Amino acid sequence: MLDIALVSLIQDMSEKAGVEGTIQYWLRVGENLAKRMGKEAYMGWPSFNVALREGRTAFSIEGNVVALTDLAITDVDGDVVGYIYALEKCVFEPTILRVRYSVGQLPKADKQIADEYNMTYKDIAVCNFCIIHVKFREEVARNITIAGQPLEALHLADRGFTGDTKIDEENLNKIGINKEYVRSLLRNYACVFALVMKGARLKGEVSEE
Amino acid sequence: MKQISGNESILDNPMVDIATYLFLEDIADKQGAAGMNNYLMSLAYSLARSMPEEEYTDWDSFVDAIVKGESILSAFEKVNSISKYCMVTVESPFLRGWKEYTKRIGEFPRIHKEVAEYYNSRITPTAIETGDIIIQTYRKAAAEKITVDGKKVKVAHIATVSPDGSKKIAPDEWLPILLEKAQISKTQLNMILRNNAAVWIVYPSQ
Repeated sequence: MLDIALVSLIQDMSEKAGVEGTIQYWLRVGENLAKRMGKEAYMGWPSFNVALREGRTAFSIEGNVVALTDLAITDVDGDVVGYIYALEKCVFEPTILRVRYSVGQLPKADKQIADEYNMTYKDIAVCNFCIIHVKFREEVARNITIAGQPLEALHLADRGFTGDTKIDEENLNKIGINKEYVRSLLRNYACVFALVMKGARLKGEVSEE
Repeated sequence: MKQISGNESILDNPMVDIATYLFLEDIADKQGAAGMNNYLMSLAYSLARSMPEEEYTDWDSFVDAIVKGESILSAFEKVNSISKYCMVTVESPFLRGWKEYTKRIGEFPRIHKEVAEYYNSRITPTAIETGDIIIQTYRKAAAEKITVDGKKVKVAHIATVSPDGSKKIAPDEWLPILLEKAQISKTQLNMILRNNAAVWIVYPSQ
C-alpha cells in the first residue's frame, strides 16, 4: 500500500510544494537512500559483478540488475575502467500496475514532474520516479570503491511504461557506445547505465578535449 | 487464477517502499511529528478521494465484497470477516516495506512510533507506527464513500499488531462498546490478534 500512498501524495505535494519543490524532495530522497545504504569496497570488477549478481550491492534494491560483461568500457590506454549494466524491470512498474488496478489513472503530476525535470535538469526521466532513481544511482556509485577507486554512474537510456524512451547521447559519446545499440538493449531492459572508475580518461572525453 | 484486483499478484518494488519511508522521515526532520502526521493523514484522504464510490443492496453482499477484495475497504489488504461487523486484516499492508527497510537500511527509526503516539493522543489511540496512521485514516475516509441499503457505513479500530509483535488495543473505556459491536469477547480478541495484524469494525451509521 505504501507505494500507492506515495503516488497519491505526488499530486497533493505538487499542488502544495509546486512541481519544482517536489523535484527537490525527490532528489533528497534519492540522496538519503544512498547514504543510508552505506559504503562498499571491492577488490576488482569481477568481485563487484559477482556481488551484483548475488544481490549484495546497494544497486540490488532496484531489482534484477544485469552486468553486461560483454560491454566493457576501456580508457584511452585500453584498460577496463567500467561496464554497462541494465535493469530488467522498471522500479516503478509494479506500482503503476497496482495503481491501475486499485485506483485507476496515475495522477497528472507524474508526467508534469518528469517533464519539468527533463527541461531543467537532465532530459532522461520517463516518469517522476526516475528522479529518485537516477540520483540514487549517482550517489551509490560514489559510495562504492573498486580497487580503491570510487565509481561514477552514467545514465544511458530508459524506457517508460508506455514505451517512450530517453537516451543520453552525451554519456553515450563519453564511453563510445552506439545509440542504436543502446536502443536495442531497451527491447530487453527498462534502464541502461554505465559504471566507470571516477576520473578515468574515457575515449570520448579525451577526443572532446 | 487469483483475481488481480486485490493486487496480491503484483509485488511493489522495495526501492519505492523504502524511498517512501525516507521521504516521510525527511518530512519529520523538517516539520516534526505533527507535520508528518498531517502529511500521512492528508495522503490517506487523498487516496480515499481518488477511489470510486460503492453501493450495496444488503450487508451480506457488502461483507462478501470486502472478503473477496472487491471493495475499496480491502483494495490494499487481505480482510476476513469474524462476525457481522468485525473484520480482521490478516497481514499488514506495510509488512513488505518494513521488512525491506530493516533488511536493507537497518533498524526502523523511532520517529515512526513517535508520530503514531502523536496520532494516538489526538485522533484514535490504535496506531503503532506511521503505516497504521495511513491505513486507519484511509479506512475511515473510504468508508464514507460506501452505502449499504441506502445507509453510509463507518469504521472504528479495535486493535493493531505491528510487524515487531507490539500490540495496541483501544483504551479500556472504549473497548466494551467496540467488542459488543464486534460480537467478540476480550479473550477472543487476544486470540484473533495472535495471527492477524488488525481488528476493526465496519457498521452502518444510525
